[in-house]
Amino acid sequence: MREALRALRASGVSAAGTAAPLEVAQRGDEPPRVEGATPIEGTFVAVRKVDGAPVAGVAAFLDGIQRSRVLAHAGVVPLVHGAVAAAVRVRHDRRLRTWESPIVDQALYVPVAALEPEFAAALSSRCRVRDTEVEPLSHPQQFTARALTAVQRARERAETSLAEAWVARGDGPLLVDGGISGAGTAARHPMAIGVVKSHRTLYAASDALGTVLGLREGERTTAVEISSPRRVPVATWYLRLRESGERAPLFGLVRVEVARDSSVDITERADLVSRWLLAERAPVALPDMRWDVMVYGIRECEQYLTAILT
Amino acid sequence: MSDEITPSAVLGRVVATERKPNTPHEFHFWTALDAPVGIGTIVRVESARPVGGVLPKVYGVVTEGFSYTDLQTPLHDVLGADGEPGASALAPTERTEIRLYTAAVLRHVPEEPLQPVPMGTVHLASEADVQAALRMDSYVQGDHPQGIPIGLYRAGGTQAAVHLDADFLLGPEAAHLSISGVSGLATKTSAVEWLLSSIFAHFPQRKGRVAAVCFNVKGPDLCFLDQPASSLDEADRAMYDALGVPAAPFADVRYFAPWTARGTQLATLRSNDALQHNVSPLTWGLRETLQYAEVLLNKDDVDAKADAMIDFIKERVLDQPFNDSLLERTHEVRSFSDLERWFRELLRAMEGANKDVWRTHHVATIRKVRNRLSNISTRCRGLVTDDGSVSDLPFGEFDDRAVYVVDVANLEEDAQDLVFARIVSQLREHLEKRQLGVDHVVVFVDELNKYAPAEGADTYVRKMLLDISERGRYLGLVLFGAQQFRSQVHRRVVGNSGTSLFGRMDPDELATPGYQTLAPATKARLATLEKGQLMVRHPHFGQPVFVRFPRPAVLGGREGVERFPQAEELTLEAAVTKALRRLDPSVTLGWVQDTLALAGEDEDGILSARNRTLQARPDDVKAYFRAQLKKRVMPEQGARRGPAPLRVPTSDDPYG
Repeated sequence: MREALRALRASGVSAAGTAAPLEVAQRGDEPPRVEGATPIEGTFVAVRKVDGAPVAGVAAFLDGIQRSRVLAHAGVVPLVHGAVAAAVRVRHDRRLRTWESPIVDQALYVPVAALEPEFAAALSSRCRVRDTEVEPLSHPQQFTARALTAVQRARERAETSLAEAWVARGDGPLLVDGGISGAGTAARHPMAIGVVKSHRTLYAASDALGTVLGLREGERTTAVEISSPRRVPVATWYLRLRESGERAPLFGLVRVEVARDSSVDITERADLVSRWLLAERAPVALPDMRWDVMVYGIRECEQYLTAILT
Repeated sequence: MSDEITPSAVLGRVVATERKPNTPHEFHFWTALDAPVGIGTIVRVESARPVGGVLPKVYGVVTEGFSYTDLQTPLHDVLGADGEPGASALAPTERTEIRLYTAAVLRHVPEEPLQPVPMGTVHLASEADVQAALRMDSYVQGDHPQGIPIGLYRAGGTQAAVHLDADFLLGPEAAHLSISGVSGLATKTSAVEWLLSSIFAHFPQRKGRVAAVCFNVKGPDLCFLDQPASSLDEADRAMYDALGVPAAPFADVRYFAPWTARGTQLATLRSNDALQHNVSPLTWGLRETLQYAEVLLNKDDVDAKADAMIDFIKERVLDQPFNDSLLERTHEVRSFSDLERWFRELLRAMEGANKDVWRTHHVATIRKVRNRLSNISTRCRGLVTDDGSVSDLPFGEFDDRAVYVVDVANLEEDAQDLVFARIVSQLREHLEKRQLGVDHVVVFVDELNKYAPAEGADTYVRKMLLDISERGRYLGLVLFGAQQFRSQVHRRVVGNSGTSLFGRMDPDELATPGYQTLAPATKARLATLEKGQLMVRHPHFGQPVFVRFPRPAVLGGREGVERFPQAEELTLEAAVTKALRRLDPSVTLGWVQDTLALAGEDEDGILSARNRTLQARPDDVKAYFRAQLKKRVMPEQGARRGPAPLRVPTSDDPYG
């Protein structure tokens, strides 16, 4: 960020002061929804007690973080500094260490066409600039929204790059924070396991919704396949990591994604991966607010990234 | 990470936050969990940012350590483990954990400008770093080294000799040493024995001759300094080698002890026949005792009038012919017996003349002084002789690197005070005149809290110790004091100790104000210090450092007592024979028995003759002894105590 601030000063632009991160200021307002999915473990979505005791099986954890902030304005155009980082933390002797090198990427996200050419050239010569490709006369909030999306894409690219590197060179199952369907070759690899903690979209048709929300601790749903035009089809199921009790119905509920491989017995696979995840409930990821659904390895990875992005 | 981490390897990194900033005298750093760092470890900080064109280095000693995880509250761990303590161990991942250390700065290089410790890498100190950190480079290196090894600093793979500066240990820059620690575990006596060996091995000849006077105040602690240790192992010998000190007992030791109350043998646990070649009696007569009467006389009952009377005796009566119209004859008072006769005749004459006052002294004062002075020879029997015979330390003929042990372990407290006061005063007087025979004397006193207590009456001994501690360094009179509780020793005495050693300390003692400057972790280490380890404070050291020292190369007290059992109480004839045979091997028990039978003397007369013979060391021992029997004068017949049993230690400990 210091490099970007120096570049702005050198270009004659004053910093905007302490603005809130765009991730906080522009929370997604996508409405929650329920979508259907195709059962691949039986003919309908059912509750299944995970067969076998929890067992440690995950070898590494992958997470990425992003930060975006409006540093200054050139006229009405916001100049957004975006920083992303991703890392794989591999477990050796019960302690986590960074695998190979983390990816850290920082740039100014700006609509180049909306800037004076000389100013854009000056900025580019002094720091890395990413073009958000927004038309000059757009709604002002469009600039920040597109910048935020671009930063998000950069983070996803970093995560995907590491996931692909891991399945190519790593050793053992990799637990990825979030879904894996957009993770390139990793989405088709048996070593990648995605864990989705937020459930704005619930893959449970109306008759399956009660089944998902009624899961007890240590139970999972049978697996379904989800697919979208730009993503790789994956097998997924819901798993209750912790008893919700009187709490909200989504408490302790995660959705697990693995590669869709019809040659593998999905019941055995889903049970084994679920046992791995249930083993990761300890240590508890407190004091993270999402401790009910977050495994400690992901939280540790996030802390590591926060530290190196400071 | 291996324990043998090298000084060039990065051990940790300096960290500072707004809430926990670094200062010029303190900094913080973190390390890997298995880094060989502990309280007392010396580290080097290297900064990559030059100041004034120089890359600064900072040396520090670890004083505090912290460890914590990413938990905000212990309750989270309880919840995570479902209340089962064993469950946490089953978690596939251990929580992120930190080892964070606080170090006190020992030295900045360069010294100016004095800035807060910069961010940088932290390394284990090498041997050269330890020298630089403790500023030993100024007196250990060069053409005229004057370092006195005190022990080995060890951490990780580093081993470095730690030296004290002779000028700051034995004067004149600073002087004196104070060693504190709990009894039995703190290695006080062992440390002093080791340090004396080190001084004798390393004190530069160009700085003069040095000797030690040790007061053995309990058990057989110092009774076998000339006998080799049996418990030295390879590790000890390696430490002696590393520190350049011979692993050998003291080559020149002389023992001095008063007689037992019965007078047939010396009151010391070093009474075995095989060890008598360097044991001498310590006996004083009236003149020697009266010089220090103040030590023995209670101020409450000896007032100004009595003081005046005592001064009159010292100046006008003692050691000179004394005439007075009231007295029938000329008196020459040289012993307690003479003094008693003088008092007796004086009081009788005053009574006969019906006089209450004699030379401004009231009869009541005279009676009081007579009572108090007569009492001294009884209270200090064995040390103070009725007949005036003197056997003393060889003041004026002290030898270089010799140890003079004065065994007062079996004397009453008053007598111990008298011995202490007189010997130290004599040392001072001789040093002032440069006539002691050596230029520096180390006086080792155990239980210093007894002689120079922080509270209580201002005694002669305490005043004398205060004077030594404040002015002794200019004379070469150096006090090595040991005590269990430093807080109970007068603050001016410990405050004037240039060097302080601490063995294992009592936690209550560590809670006293004198230890407030120590970090809690340093106090915790002091409270659990192993035998053979010391914390050292020295003027050159910016902070206290921990060192190890080898077991003394001398025979321990209890082992010595077992190997050299105490001689049995002898008959009078056998005791005389034994004493005289040291001067003339031809003296036999039969000759002594015959001689005593012919002389017809009583026990006191025989012992007096023996003492005078031992003191004179004549060429013809037999003739001299016979002559002494004939010229003996009758002393007063005081009540005699039975022989007091010698105190035998109950525990042995190679570190004492």
